[in-house]
Parts: sequence; C-alpha cells; structure tokens
Amino acid sequence: MSDATLPTAQRPGWRGPLAGLARTGGGIGAVGVKELRGRMRGRRAFVILTIYLLLLGGFAWMVELIMERNMSTVFGSSTYAGASIGQGIFAALLMLETLQVAFLAPAATAGAISLEREKRTLELLVVTPISSIAIVLGKLLSALVYVWLLIAASIPLTAVVFVYGGVAPDDVLRGYLVLVVTALGLGSFGLFCSSLVKRTQAATAITIFGVLLISIGSVFLLAFWGAMTTRTTNDGTTRGSAPQELGYLNPFLAQVDVLCGTETSFGGWCSLESSLLPSQNGVVFVDGGATGPIIAPVAPIPIGKNFVVRGQGIANDVAGPPAVAPFGVVRDGLWPRSVISWLILSAVFLILSVQFVSPTRRWRLPRRRGRQAGAT
Amino acid sequence: MTAIVRTEGLVKRYDGTLAVAGIDLEIEPGEIFGLVGPNGAGKTTTLRMLATLLQPSSGDAEIDGWSVTRNPDQVRRVLGFMPDVFGVYDDMKVWEYLDFFARCYGLPTAARRRMIGDLLELVDLAPRRDNYVQTLSRGMEQRLCLAHALVHDPKVLLLDEPASGLDPRARVELRELLRELRNLGKTIVISSHILPELEELCSSVAIVDQGKVLAHGRVADIERRLRFGSVLRVRLLAEGEALEAARAGLAADPDVASATILDDGTIELGFRGDDAATARLLAASVAAGLPIVSFARAASDLEELFLQVTAPDRQPLEAA
Repeated sequence: MSDATLPTAQRPGWRGPLAGLARTGGGIGAVGVKELRGRMRGRRAFVILTIYLLLLGGFAWMVELIMERNMSTVFGSSTYAGASIGQGIFAALLMLETLQVAFLAPAATAGAISLEREKRTLELLVVTPISSIAIVLGKLLSALVYVWLLIAASIPLTAVVFVYGGVAPDDVLRGYLVLVVTALGLGSFGLFCSSLVKRTQAATAITIFGVLLISIGSVFLLAFWGAMTTRTTNDGTTRGSAPQELGYLNPFLAQVDVLCGTETSFGGWCSLESSLLPSQNGVVFVDGGATGPIIAPVAPIPIGKNFVVRGQGIANDVAGPPAVAPFGVVRDGLWPRSVISWLILSAVFLILSVQFVSPTRRWRLPRRRGRQAGAT
Repeated sequence: MTAIVRTEGLVKRYDGTLAVAGIDLEIEPGEIFGLVGPNGAGKTTTLRMLATLLQPSSGDAEIDGWSVTRNPDQVRRVLGFMPDVFGVYDDMKVWEYLDFFARCYGLPTAARRRMIGDLLELVDLAPRRDNYVQTLSRGMEQRLCLAHALVHDPKVLLLDEPASGLDPRARVELRELLRELRNLGKTIVISSHILPELEELCSSVAIVDQGKVLAHGRVADIERRLRFGSVLRVRLLAEGEALEAARAGLAADPDVASATILDDGTIELGFRGDDAATARLLAASVAAGLPIVSFARAASDLEELFLQVTAPDRQPLEAA
C-alpha cells in the first residue's frame, strides 16, 4: 500500500448571487464531458458521421436524378425546372433528416438515466453536490450534441439546393429550426421515460411507441377525423376540421408546413397539409396563379404583420384587408406552433425528469394504506 | 469531544414496514465505527439516510453539524459514500473516472490532476491509470470506488459492506487502506458481516437488529456493560480421569460458568471474566500443573457478542 497522503481538495469558491447557476453549469459540464468522452472516443463517432453524410449525399443525388427525369417531360422554363428540382431535393433531405431526428434523438436519451440505475452508478452521482437539474441537463445536452452535430453536418449538403433555386435561405432556416427543436423535444421525452422507468428496455420501448404515436398515430387520427366528418350533399362537399393541436407535435407535419412555404403555387405539400389540417380560420395563400379545389370553408382572418409570402409570391399587404384565398392552408401556421409546443413540452419533461432523478425530492403517487412492503 | 455523526430518533418506514425504528448514535471524529447486524437489520437503510439518499420518515441526523434533511448539499460536501452494490461506467479510463467525480465536486483543473495522482497512489492503482475501469478486478473496482469517495477530501466516510465479494488478499488490502485512512484522521462508518475484521478495525460498534440499536460503544465496554461472557477453549495433554480432574478444577474457578469436555478432548469454558481474569485463570492452571497445549477464546469477541445480543432469547450469563 502506498504512503501517499490524501490531497487537500480546494473548496470551490461558489458564493454570491450566481452561485446556484455556477454550480449547475459546473455540474452540466461534468456530466457532459463524461458522456461526450464515451460517445466521441476513438474513430467510431466520426466514421458514423462520414457514412451518414455519404448516405445522405447519395440519397440527394438519386432524388436529383429522379427529379431531372420527371422535369424533362414537363413543359416549362429551365428556371422553373431548376426550382422544382431544388424543392424536391430540399423536401427529400428535410424529411429524411426529420426521420433520423425522430428516432435518433429519443433513442440517444432513452437509456440515459435508466442505464445508470441498472448499473448502480446513479447513487454514486446523486450523493455528490451536483444537482439533479445538472444531471438531467448534462445527460440531455451531451446526447443531443451528437444529434445536432449530424444535423449541422448536413447543412452544407442541403445548401446544394440553392444551386437549383426554388428554396430560399429562410426556408432552410425554418426546416432546421424545426429539426433542432424536435430533437430537443423528443430527446427530453426519451429522458423523461428513462427517468420514469427503471429498465432501459422498457424506457426505449415506451419512447419508440410515443414517437410512433406522435408521428404516425396523429396523422392517422387526423385522416380518420377528416373522413368521418366529410359530408357530401346536393350542395357540395363539406368537411369538418380536426383539432389542429393534433398535428402540433408531429415533426413531419411541421416540415410539410415548411415545405408548403417553398411552393409558389398550391402544390403537393400544401395539398397534403390542407387535406389533413384544413384551416379552421380560413385560408391564407395569396400567391395567385394556382387552381385547386375548395376544400375548406373560407372565412377572413387577420394576418400577422410578419406574414410574407415567399418564393415567387407577393408580399402580403399587412395593412390591407385580411387575405383570403381558396386553398385551406394557413402558411406558416403549423411549424411555429409545433416549435413552441415542443419547447413547452421539453420544459415539462425536464422538470419531471429532475423530480424522478432526485432521490429525496421525488413526487410520489399516493399509495393505498395498509399495503405491506416487501423486504426492507 | 463533539460527535461528528449524530442521529436522533432516526426512523424509516416503507409502506408501513419499519426498516429503522429510532436509531440514536453518536460517533466521535477519527473513529472507525462498525454497524453490525443480520441481513435486514436496517444497516444499509441507516447508511443511505446518512448519505442523503433516503429521506427519514422521522428523526434527523447530523454530519459535521449539517442536518441530512435540511442541508443535504452541505452534507454531501463533507461525506464520501461507498454503497454495498455499485457499478462502474463502461468506456471510461481509471483516471477519467476520478476526474469525473472531482468535476462533480467542482475541483479546479490543477487540483484535479494532483488529486488523481495522489489518490491512485493511495489505493495502489497508479499503474492502472490508463486502463478501462471495466477491465479491473473486483478488488480494484472496490478500491477505485473508495478512491472516488475521497476525491473531495471528506471528513466522514460511509462504507456499506466494503469487503463483500472480495477474496482474502483483497480484504487484507482493503483493511490496510482503511487503517491508512484512519491515520489520516477520517471518521469511517462501516457496515459489515465479517465481524473479526470489524473487530480488528473498529474503535466502537453498534449492534443493530430489526431497526434498533441493541448495543453501542466500544466492544470491551459493551461486553462489560451487558456482562456477557466469552467461550474459552483449553486443550490439554491429558485424557480419561486426568482430563476430568482438570475440567473439575477449571469449573471451580469463580469466573467459569460452565465447563464441558468436547468430543475431541478440548475443554470448553463458559467464562464471564475480563482479560485480567482470563490471564489469572491461565496462570493458575499452569501453576496447578495442567499440561496446557492451547488456551484461547473460541471465537472473536464481537462475533460472540453479536450472536448473544441478537439471540431471540438472550440472557446475560450473570443472570443465568
């Protein structure tokens, strides 16, 4: 045995009004560094990133070829053809990345706490002065950093669409904002499941089930609602509106809304959105030039001062009368709500996770009296 | 001297089952304090309440003057905890493991570097500094876990069954390490089933059963207070009548409660005297010309004490 003496640890000088914040920041840093050391060690993370980008690039190239073939049979200017190809590539990349985020982000966090419980390492962590908030945020951010890295790495690839046109930089920003916030929201959901359930397997299953419910279940419910409320009479077809809130958490629908914004006329994405989420308030699509069926009752609504029609459209007269258009789509109506909903839900999930991680501050459900416990 | 660890009426209930039924303890600074008790006695629950991992149902405990219920953050800064069952992070090197916990305590970079080197020396893991923790043996993991509990130089160490699952060599190493820590002035609260080892290490003990402290203090003091006896085994170079005569002679001693000849010819004495009385009996036996081959206590005092204190129908020898 060694004759070494114990080191004298220096008491950290955390005093003053920002002491709590500094402690939390330090704790997040400690957990984050530990997690990232594990995730980014060796070549594994960078090999995965390279393969991911190669696959994404290959996918974009194939979409470009398909679009090129399709456009060769369509009459129109080369500018129009280029814009269509650009929009097609953008849509394909955005949807693929959304799919990746929808499964990767919660999968990265679903075992974050439960694995610590299973391995019996959580106790060692919670008896340090590190706060439960720091543990939860450190775990979340270190898991999301890699997902966000994948998202960020794809930006140069997505920027290829600017060569073709048809997609404005702010469209790309919108799409990536939805991606980043969706990753945060679904990552928080995975972390919450992980803190709630003891077993990682169960936490992962619940998380994936939740993601499927949000992404596929909500679309099915919206379609079902639409089908059940459609009435055809001698006066025409009327269709009821499903609660828009059903689509708020669906990242794919939010991206459909973003993609609808790139369309210069009533195209496929707007059509898809309007078929699932006919506006309850009315219609705002003032590009003009498009034709299409009237699929929702139209009522004038005031437009926010920030409303601007993009692409080849015209800027809406913000001071003028409410815009009315016959397509049943409120542009930029869904994705901002989706982003806000996920931000709020993330905060809720994180607060709950903190409670479940903390050994002595956990909210407990009331138990029935007289129930006998097992071994002590 | 002011107690560094104090519990007052510490109670823990789990859905109506009483795991700890009002434990009162006072532990002086620099002590190695043993918590002894059968499985389910409430030792681990008590340690976990002291470590701020469990909220007491009632009562309170103080470590270095901080309440575990009201000031858990301050308590965590002055104590190091090693649970009975613990895991290690995969994909982490030995120095990274200690570095992580040092970061959790907010140690600055230079102090962390120095501390990691010193601690690895202390627990004899310096040559394993760059090994992955999952490649360490159980004994090494145990030492690493002990090192992790020391990164912030705590005043109090809570060790729950630290020797469980260790081979004899690793146990000896751990015992030496704990002695070293005692010499460094740490107060160590240790729960264990391996009573002879505790007896050797501990300056005082608490015998716990069914969530209550049955006896508390120095082993010799408890023995004296409760007036329990010990069992002495005497082997003689004699048999037949000579052996029987020797037994009768030993039984005549006022401190001998009973004297029985065992199958192997050893005489077992129920003895209620202290060390001085034991020495006197041995001297008297030699003086009487008994051909003594061996003269020893049958088991460790703590083990015997533990068995007698926790026996369902325990009765002091004096009263018997």
